[in-house]
Amino acid sequence: MKRVLLLGSPNSGKSSLFNRLTGLSQRVANYPGITVDVASGPMASLPDIELVDFPGTYSLEPISGEEAIAVNFLNEALADDNVSHVLCVADTTRLEKCMHFILQVIRECQHHQKPVTVLANMSDVIRDNQLTFDPVGLSDALGVPVIPVSARDSQGFAPIIECVADGATAQNTTDRNWREAPNEILRGTAQQLAAKFSPKGDVLINSQLRLDRFFLSTALGGLAFFFIMFLFFQSIFTWSAPVMDAVESLVSGLGQLVVPLIPNQIIADFVADALFGGVGAFLVFVPQIFVLTLVIGVMEDSGYLARAALICHRPLRVFGLTGKSFIPLLSGVACAIPAIYAARSVDSPRQRMMTYLAIPLMPCSARLPVYALLIATFIPKDTGLFGLVGWQGLALFCIYFFGMLVALLVTGLVSKASKNKQTEQPFVLELPPYRLPTAKPLLRNAWNRCQQFVTQAGKIILAVTMVVWVLGYFPNGGADLGQSWLGTLGHIVEPVFAPLGLDWRYGIAILTSFLAREVFVGTLGTIFGIEGSDENMLPLVDHIQASGLPLGSGIALLVFFAVALQCVSTVVILAREGSTRLALSMLLSYLVGAYLLSLMAFQIVSLLF
Amino acid sequence: MNNAPAAKALWDLRPGEAATVTGFGDKLPVSYQGRVMEFGFQPGALVHCLLNPGFGAPRVYSICNSVFSLDKEVAAAVFVAVSSPVEAES
Repeated sequence: MKRVLLLGSPNSGKSSLFNRLTGLSQRVANYPGITVDVASGPMASLPDIELVDFPGTYSLEPISGEEAIAVNFLNEALADDNVSHVLCVADTTRLEKCMHFILQVIRECQHHQKPVTVLANMSDVIRDNQLTFDPVGLSDALGVPVIPVSARDSQGFAPIIECVADGATAQNTTDRNWREAPNEILRGTAQQLAAKFSPKGDVLINSQLRLDRFFLSTALGGLAFFFIMFLFFQSIFTWSAPVMDAVESLVSGLGQLVVPLIPNQIIADFVADALFGGVGAFLVFVPQIFVLTLVIGVMEDSGYLARAALICHRPLRVFGLTGKSFIPLLSGVACAIPAIYAARSVDSPRQRMMTYLAIPLMPCSARLPVYALLIATFIPKDTGLFGLVGWQGLALFCIYFFGMLVALLVTGLVSKASKNKQTEQPFVLELPPYRLPTAKPLLRNAWNRCQQFVTQAGKIILAVTMVVWVLGYFPNGGADLGQSWLGTLGHIVEPVFAPLGLDWRYGIAILTSFLAREVFVGTLGTIFGIEGSDENMLPLVDHIQASGLPLGSGIALLVFFAVALQCVSTVVILAREGSTRLALSMLLSYLVGAYLLSLMAFQIVSLLF
Repeated sequence: MNNAPAAKALWDLRPGEAATVTGFGDKLPVSYQGRVMEFGFQPGALVHCLLNPGFGAPRVYSICNSVFSLDKEVAAAVFVAVSSPVEAES
């Protein structure tokens, strides 16, 4: 299959073009370097041609690990005979920023004898602002075709398809040869070409400046930041609550409908306890993952995240991090794995290492089902402050804040212990124009994230709940859980968790959660399902409340899950991106830290209440 | 009377002030010097200081229709010649 490479600098609209050209749901982010993985898909109009979306990079002279990966990958791809064409996306409104990169790409393509076409994106902005742009003149100067396009309204796509389909029209337009041009010459030429061909006039800066004066002002900007973060956490509970209730009713209703139809008692018990009790309990929390991903996507695509990185830069420096760590850390609120990949955009190896240390402590979406379950168990659904603040949302904000605080304390302490200023890198960040996010790719991305979450975590949860059910059901047919194989195993590990006020059932759930945190919910659902026999269709929250779990133990569980590194996938990715030693030492130290902190929390809460 | 533009570091520009890039200091790593030049901070280019968020946070500059945030380490190593008086922030 022939492949076409799509290259471009961050914020040039490359990912939007990719979406339009393939109809795929590639992430569209408005922050430099967000495209860490390489996406690909057949072109919608040319299904025989695969379009490959490269990570955005400002230059082929990398200064960050992320850029180095992109450049190495590009060099390998250009040497591939199946690569038939290269499309280089440029933001026409800001040609100065892109021109050097365009010339570097043309030079590399000429080295590898690959045809290259420049896609001058944002032609709609040029048209709307009544500016002029000369694609023919630029094409003559560069020696390659230049096609004005608009990812927003799909303008100029027919010439792209023609160009890609027909190699003849993709030949160089003039005999300009950049093959031997050194970087200094390219840089000077880029400056001259940009000065000659850039549309004259202020396109977006004035409107952007008005918003930046608010969002980046010393007092109001900080307040806005905290307000946006507070709304972010409130929305996770309040917006998803109706859908969560609906899913819960659906799972429960479906269970009550299906289970009586199963003639075999053992199979009926299995379906009720393991499937509806275990996996069903986990599915209830998927709407929260959807809202979480959606809200992060809105912040990214609107351009606010880059401002948040700027606001956080100075405070994060105190803790050995950088403003560029903010995006991986916030991504870590969704999932640690893409966050660890996103940390490649942190230029300094030392600050990248600090970011690795902090990411697993960020309250990821896998923790959310556990937090939501425990909060729903102990905190009423009421609201306060004239209905503006939900107590459950506030509790979630507090536990999220606790995780972040621990992350900063850890990086701060490690940073102080290994201070070496020479390894820190300067902070240079493009602030993309504010844009109204497009709903469709955001919703599709949130949907994909949920699908990924359900299929990946769901498999583990199903496997674990099956094992837990078999161990809990036999040898006495679920008659006495305490005398089952699971009960025997649970009583062996019980002394470890007894100081936290947790009985063996919670001990088993914690042990299984080391595969993935959310397994805790599925395991508890299965255990209480077996134990509850005829009332096993009750929501898990009701089971936990009926079990008499003390408040101190609930808080201890929250603290334990906030700190412990219970995710096999995260440990593996940490080992791959950092080192095996780093991953194992983090696993061990966070586990010990989690246990000690939760023990302290249990003792303090038990004394107070 | 000396009419030559006053030379200073980019970091010393106040919001609303414009200046022309004249060169780079030695303290900026070569890779970063190359990167900011690729962004348009070339000798002769006109740069505007847009915002100073305060508390030592990176400052915001516009150059060639793009907006960048630079911390002190970078902005103090970019030398500029002031070409316009301070315009009041509107």
